[in-house]
Amino acid sequence: MKTVPIRMDRRWLTQFQERLETDQGWSDPEGFELALEAAKAQQIPDFDSLRCQAFLQGFTPLPHQLETARRVLGEMHGRAILADEVGLGKTIEAGLILKEYLVRDLVKNALILVPSSLVLQWTRELNQKFQIPAVAQKKAWMWDKYDILVASIDTAKRDPHRAKVLERHYDMLIIDEAHKLKNRRTKNYRFVKEIRKKYALLLTATPVQNELNELYNLVNLLKPGQLGQQQVFSTQYVAGKRLAKNEEKLREEVHRVMIRNRRNDGNVHFTRRHVETVPIILSPSERRLYEGITHFVKDQYRKGGSIKSLLSLITLQREVCSSRDAAFPTLFKLLKKGVEGKEDLPPDVYRLVNLLRDVDKQSKVEEAVKLARATEGKMIIFTEYRATQDLLLRSLAEEEIPAVPYRGGFARNKKDWMMELFRTRAQVMVATEAGGEGINLQFCHHIINYDLPWNPMRVEQRIGRVHRLGQEKDVTIYNFATQDTIEEHILWLLHEKIDMFRSVIGDIETILAEMGDQADMEQSLMKIMLEAEGDRDLRRRLDHLGENFDQARQEARAKQQKRDVLLDGTQPS
Amino acid sequence: MEPNQVKSFAQRYLDAYNCRVIEQTPDWVETELSIEADQDLVHRPFYWMYVEKMGLAPQTVTLTWFFDAKKAPTDRRAELLSFGSSRFNQMLQSAQKRGRFARLFEDRPSPVRSRSTSKPYEPWLGINYRVSYICDMKKDEILPFGIHLRTGDIQENFYPRIRSRNWTSVMPAHRHILPNLLSIPEAVGELEYNLQGYIEHQDLSWAKRAKERLDREMQQLHAYYPEEWRMSDELHDEKKQRIRETVWQYHPRIEVEVINAGLFYLDADHPVID
Repeated sequence: MKTVPIRMDRRWLTQFQERLETDQGWSDPEGFELALEAAKAQQIPDFDSLRCQAFLQGFTPLPHQLETARRVLGEMHGRAILADEVGLGKTIEAGLILKEYLVRDLVKNALILVPSSLVLQWTRELNQKFQIPAVAQKKAWMWDKYDILVASIDTAKRDPHRAKVLERHYDMLIIDEAHKLKNRRTKNYRFVKEIRKKYALLLTATPVQNELNELYNLVNLLKPGQLGQQQVFSTQYVAGKRLAKNEEKLREEVHRVMIRNRRNDGNVHFTRRHVETVPIILSPSERRLYEGITHFVKDQYRKGGSIKSLLSLITLQREVCSSRDAAFPTLFKLLKKGVEGKEDLPPDVYRLVNLLRDVDKQSKVEEAVKLARATEGKMIIFTEYRATQDLLLRSLAEEEIPAVPYRGGFARNKKDWMMELFRTRAQVMVATEAGGEGINLQFCHHIINYDLPWNPMRVEQRIGRVHRLGQEKDVTIYNFATQDTIEEHILWLLHEKIDMFRSVIGDIETILAEMGDQADMEQSLMKIMLEAEGDRDLRRRLDHLGENFDQARQEARAKQQKRDVLLDGTQPS
Repeated sequence: MEPNQVKSFAQRYLDAYNCRVIEQTPDWVETELSIEADQDLVHRPFYWMYVEKMGLAPQTVTLTWFFDAKKAPTDRRAELLSFGSSRFNQMLQSAQKRGRFARLFEDRPSPVRSRSTSKPYEPWLGINYRVSYICDMKKDEILPFGIHLRTGDIQENFYPRIRSRNWTSVMPAHRHILPNLLSIPEAVGELEYNLQGYIEHQDLSWAKRAKERLDREMQQLHAYYPEEWRMSDELHDEKKQRIRETVWQYHPRIEVEVINAGLFYLDADHPVID
């Protein structure tokens, strides 16, 4: 190359001459020196180092995330598919890449399109982890007003937003959950293709679901022609549905634009999980209450009560395993219904109320407090019920163990505040919610499942808050199981049968999808609880459900392995 | 920049822009900003509009900064001032904005015997250039050049060589400036010409490689899209857009900006030495 075009900026010269004429506005020697030092601090001395690391505060990216950023910048020149498996930090990788381009002044404006449920989470992450001034798009006027916007793709594609987006040039476009763009005939696909962009990142954990074609379309969003023409692609690579004829060649081509880190690649280290079952033996009065409620449920079922009221009775049964306090509101509702409907309170409900009143000792709470006292370091206790949460907090306070609450209903900054308190001052956090954004509890290594959700996804979410990438220590999980109650059966299913707790179980969502009409585990369990005749029958049915889950898991795994072979050419490990 | 570098830069900035330091420990500093610093570091344009409109005496902001994330003051609200923080970024911008142009006289005690006569100053124009080499990636180089406004002599690395001399903004007594023989625009032209020569002698293989990437991508596009006459309007537009994007992404170019520039009057007996 003989010459490279040079642009000399001369706008400064007029300003300089103005100063000369008026002899005003000169800087002093120190100001002049500081300006040059500031410029030096922001200077980018080479093409290929990751400068953005110096700008991060309060968190250190993992090696595979840095390596991914490096490759996207150096080898893929800013257009790539980030296809890490779930939980390896695609958002972090995208943030690093965006930050690097911002620091180098190669990106001044960027658009991040995500599902609407993730808009705030993305915005917060970019703000907090990367100090990127991203703003969540809410109103149409915002499109021209801000340089870095996070928006819902479904909003953006509709007018009047659509026109605004297509008017602009974006230095960088990031799309999360990009597998939703596999069909090139959809409005979303055409919209994304039309957006004018310099760099582009597509994020997905499942670059192929069923057909190789999906990959072709995804790659074509980044670089039309990278995999050849549609026709050539079909004849060369797609023989049959998911069998790649010329696999090695295809993989090579795909990996020019796609990076996929996997959990078992060795570059990603997860610590171990220890699982302990803590058996709880009910006191005689608690036992009487539990039995009373169980009888009541069976009775109502035999009498043929409505399904809705039966389900609330099962809930009552679960609640009483948690604590007397948790059962109270439900029982109170029953009581009220009784009073409104009839003249007299039904005798059986009345009996339950009396049994509840008799409970003088809360064995499970006592055990939790005991465990908290015996444990060194932070501990999070998960419960399903607000009333239990309050009870636990009261009991911990009585023992002078510092504890904070956490629940879904808290406003954002209250959540942040509670997290901060837990990190800095409290020993215990009592939480009713595990899902939701931004809960990061890597500084905590002990989890108590005080009671268990019946939905495996929520169980995994709970553990995932603590046992995640970046957790440096082994994590101990205590599962409380009240002896001879439904709780014991559920724990048996989740622990012994499905082995939920010991290892990262994989993508539960896809496993459940494989289960078909049993996918709603909570429903299935309710049904089993109602219909089972005796403990042996109950075990048999749970066993069956467990088998189905296992099968679904195997199927999901097999499918995943096929995709992996297709994408990575590796043998299933 | 390390925390201690950030700290020393911040302290020098506060000092240079007349901010009042209220309290200070090795770990943190509490300061009441000056008006100019407030306007640059605290984003509140409406307040300043309001103050100006109503003719009020402005109330500037008081801030406490700490520099080591582990050493926050416990008794007051404070913010971490670190290289990545947006506040420090604003400070760097502010320093560059306010330190752009200078006119400085070398302040050198002259021997007693020459007191009676006026001593001459040699006029120099010094410019600190930032040269950015850009394709899909980018790097910067900072080049401090200076030109003698009488002889046209050009010195590389000009400012670093003279920066540690004593400077004053007002011309001392018993001094006079030798007249320029080059106008400022002429001198700038000379510097730019020289800079161009410098750039052309640099290793431009990065640009060559970027051009190759661009060409490859273009070939791919031409191979992918059908011949012109077979394309629908829609496809035609798509191809055009894609070509533009590719050029935008890869085309190698060099951009030269001026970080700051100054007139430096050097003592005639104190030449710039290589």
